[in-house]
Amino acid sequence: MTALLTMSSISGGYGDADILHDLSMEVGAREIVAIIGPNGAGKSTAMKSIFGLLTIRSGTIVVDGTDITGWAPSRIVRSGICYVPQVANVFYDMTVHENFEMGAFLRNGDYSDALERVYEMFPDMKAKQKALAGSLSGGQRQMVAIGRALMLDPKVLLLDEPTAGLSPKYMEQIFQTCRDIRNTGVALVLVEQHAKQALRFADRGYVLAAGRNRCDGTGVDLLNNRFIAEMFLGA
Amino acid sequence: MDISSFINFFLIPGIILGSIYALGAIGVTLVYAIMRHGHFAHGDLATFGAFMVLLFSASSGLSPYAALPIAAVAAGLMAIAIDWLFYTHLRTLPKIITTISSLGVALMLRAVVQIFWGVNTLSYETGIARPENWFGLRIKPHEVVTVVMVIGLVVALEIFLRHSKWGKAMRAMSDNPDLASLCGIDNRKVIALTWMLVGALCAASGFFLGLNTQVKSLMGWNILLPTFAAAILGGVGRIEGAILGGLIVGICEEMSVLVIRSEYKVLSGFVILLLALLIRPTGLFRGKVL
Ligand SMILES: Nc1ncnc2c1ncn2[C@@H]1O[C@H](COP(=O)(O)OP(=O)(O)OP(=O)(O)O)[C@@H](O)[C@H]1O
Ligand SMILES: [Mg+2]
Repeated sequence: MTALLTMSSISGGYGDADILHDLSMEVGAREIVAIIGPNGAGKSTAMKSIFGLLTIRSGTIVVDGTDITGWAPSRIVRSGICYVPQVANVFYDMTVHENFEMGAFLRNGDYSDALERVYEMFPDMKAKQKALAGSLSGGQRQMVAIGRALMLDPKVLLLDEPTAGLSPKYMEQIFQTCRDIRNTGVALVLVEQHAKQALRFADRGYVLAAGRNRCDGTGVDLLNNRFIAEMFLGA
Repeated sequence: MDISSFINFFLIPGIILGSIYALGAIGVTLVYAIMRHGHFAHGDLATFGAFMVLLFSASSGLSPYAALPIAAVAAGLMAIAIDWLFYTHLRTLPKIITTISSLGVALMLRAVVQIFWGVNTLSYETGIARPENWFGLRIKPHEVVTVVMVIGLVVALEIFLRHSKWGKAMRAMSDNPDLASLCGIDNRKVIALTWMLVGALCAASGFFLGLNTQVKSLMGWNILLPTFAAAILGGVGRIEGAILGGLIVGICEEMSVLVIRSEYKVLSGFVILLLALLIRPTGLFRGKVL
């Protein structure tokens, strides 16, 4: 497997103290990878480190053959990777439509095809396109956030807890959206609090604890692993 | 006092002054919306712009009106240069540090103006400015120009922010700078663009102030307080608030001479600022960012 996204031995953090220690992971083309771990394990920090939002002290991040370590976020998006943060992932004071337009900021020329695809994926948003994103419900905001990130046609999409705080119905809808996105040829990295559901649905998973790799494997393997089940799945 | 003298002596001058404050307050609001700090150099940047109009019109023989666009660009470039020299390396520190350093920049700008033009009172050469009598309303031609151009500038700015790609990028960055950079928006470019707009607005407010009063090195410093009062009264971050705030402060200031001596009329800006902070610190329109 040639990896689309490779994180090799990343150490780094927000200030002097490292939060991530020697963290590595790999995402192949059209793969859904789940990242699970207890609160504060460094899952979000790992996502931010890929996107240049914190200081990486050592290690490298390679996207599709390009070493992007140390690049500014506004440059990293050009390498074909998009990211939906865990919190504050929409522009609250802008309309749904403007959020999508901002997602397409780097596209020159006509992007109506991308807009159309996003509205097709989230038909509810079509009726809401003039509404301010800040006025939407949590689930609707996740749709805007994911739609925004899809506007650049990324090869890899990072989603940090897209189902946090959502009802089971919305959660299932988001998972279904993830499958649809994968079927268009995009690889997904999914940080999930709902570890069991996520592992059931992902191809592979990584378990993080205290900023380190704890273990990894296929979703099924991790689900069947006694140790993991006891530690993280509340079984 | 009958209605026409109220309009002629208080309302019209108040609207003129208020439009000038409004332009300044919009700039203050833009700085806050994008960079999140206060900007004490705002008044002196307006002074700089006013003197640039003087420089360009005197050196080229253009009318001051024609020199304004050039002066606006010059003031915008000056603002970008100031940002690059004095504010960029403070960006990650607490914003109060940048705010205070802008006070230092204000003093420097004024010193530069005084070195070149001295401390005398000057004025623009715009020919005669006799009031026209329109149905009993005495309005000077440059007052009409001031109001029309201020309205034009505000409408243009609003269209830019609502409909253009980079205007939306400014709103996006004002809303959430990290997310904006995740969309590929280069925050540094947005900051430079913001300073260009702020510098141009300062030049316009300085020019209109000079047009309706005089051109002198303290002119901008003198409108700093009412400008801030207008921005805070309207709700920082709100352009429509800055306009309303500017008009209220301007009209109140002109009307204050009914109760206090005219030397003290700038006090009214101070009183409005105090009242706004005490009663409704979020401003008339709830403050937000762009
Ligand atoms: N902006 C920040 N500045 C400093 N430290 C931070 C910051 N954000 C997170 N941390 C620290 O980094 C560690 C990992 O946090 P992170 O948000 O990555 O965890 P997480 O696995 O995403 O947790 P959760 O499941 O709660 O989202 C925590 O100890 C946290 O205190
Ligand atoms: Mg997290």
